Amino acid sequence: MRKMKLYMDTVVDIQVVMAKSKEETEEKINRAFRAFQKVEQACSRFSATSELMRACQIIGTPVVISPFLFEPLMFAIEMAKLTDGLFDPTVGKVMEEHGFNRHYLTGDTIESPSADSVSYHDIVLDKGTHTLTLKKPLVIDLGAVAKGFAIDLAANELKEFAGFVVNAGGDLFASGVDEKGNPWKIGIQHPCQKDEIMDTIEISNEAICTSGSYERRSPNNPDLHHLMDPNTKRSPNELISCSVIAPFAMMADAFSTASFLLGANKGKRLIEEQDMKGLLIKSELQIVRAGGI
Amino acid sequence: MKKNDKKWVILCSTALAAVYSAGYFTTETQANLGQPLPQIESNFQTNSSPVNGSKESSNITNSRYKDGTYTGSGMNRRGSIEVQVTIKKDVITDVAISHFAMHYSDRDVVGMPDEVLQKQSPQVENVSGATYSTEAFQNAVQDALDQAQNAVG
Repeated sequence: MRKMKLYMDTVVDIQVVMAKSKEETEEKINRAFRAFQKVEQACSRFSATSELMRACQIIGTPVVISPFLFEPLMFAIEMAKLTDGLFDPTVGKVMEEHGFNRHYLTGDTIESPSADSVSYHDIVLDKGTHTLTLKKPLVIDLGAVAKGFAIDLAANELKEFAGFVVNAGGDLFASGVDEKGNPWKIGIQHPCQKDEIMDTIEISNEAICTSGSYERRSPNNPDLHHLMDPNTKRSPNELISCSVIAPFAMMADAFSTASFLLGANKGKRLIEEQDMKGLLIKSELQIVRAGGI
Repeated sequence: MKKNDKKWVILCSTALAAVYSAGYFTTETQANLGQPLPQIESNFQTNSSPVNGSKESSNITNSRYKDGTYTGSGMNRRGSIEVQVTIKKDVITDVAISHFAMHYSDRDVVGMPDEVLQKQSPQVENVSGATYSTEAFQNAVQDALDQAQNAVG
């Protein structure tokens, strides 16, 4: 069974190799979709009523937040520490200023208050009390972790099935085997030719996420795309695509973004340091393989 | 950088466990949609930009849409798209794709999503790439929203 819905400005496509009744399968798939709904409501910076945007209106006082927001935010901050702030969830205002400020369903644009100079050091998370404290007004962007987290939650809802894929616009988790009993074959999108793939890999019980500069360009500045270095406020262009395979989608999602920002050599090293696999494509279409893929 | 194999895997599995242990993912029907915390004053500037291009500020107190599920259709260069948009208290709670004929992955997919699986070529089923946007669906979503809006008053 296969169903598709829109969440987080992309198409979420869930495919399940059926063993249960149609009704039962449908119910499980709907629960999996609810993971996306929950995470989107918690983490979206495009909606003033999301848990994130409401919590970020309060400065200097701890705010209790749900795990749908707390967990991906904590992951993002850990990534920021690992990369010394190259990957930084406080890049939200920069994104907004470059025209990534429009809600994909309503068309509404958002303009949020922010201090001029912000970093992940301005976010304090308390595990004991599940609270978020902002030291300054800032805009948090969880674009590199929230979708991955939703994929992982959705996958957890579908774990009883012998085989399934949760594919959120090219970031996906593939579990078990396909309808023919084989590991899932996943193509790696060619960055320049829409109809072509660069390579094919086989995965089972793993996630693959790809960060690329070829899909989302800034509406204000054609040189910029949605992957932004918060320090230079520019988009790095050494790589045009970076795919990472990991046991969890949130991990693959965050590390593909971080590696993209780091560039070919450092990105490859980062992926291999964590015992992951990856396929990085440089702008002249040269492929760099990481982790023996 | 010291190698720390399991840290990220543990963070991911802890994150999943946190959602379930707190009971956040157990109640099926209790979606706390569109309930802004009452004590928080909104200081956001939200600009509504309807298709006709005119700007008007969105009004939270008056409802913009009527609750319900609306079918919207649109076209992209490959054919027709149909979506079902569900609205509750001015919040779009669900957008299901009920029909589309668009370029998808490395092949064309035509017809109902449920039937797609059987028809597919034995080649690559899924493609990992930079997250593609929902631009192709915007006309269909807007069509559904127009119907919801017209239904008001």
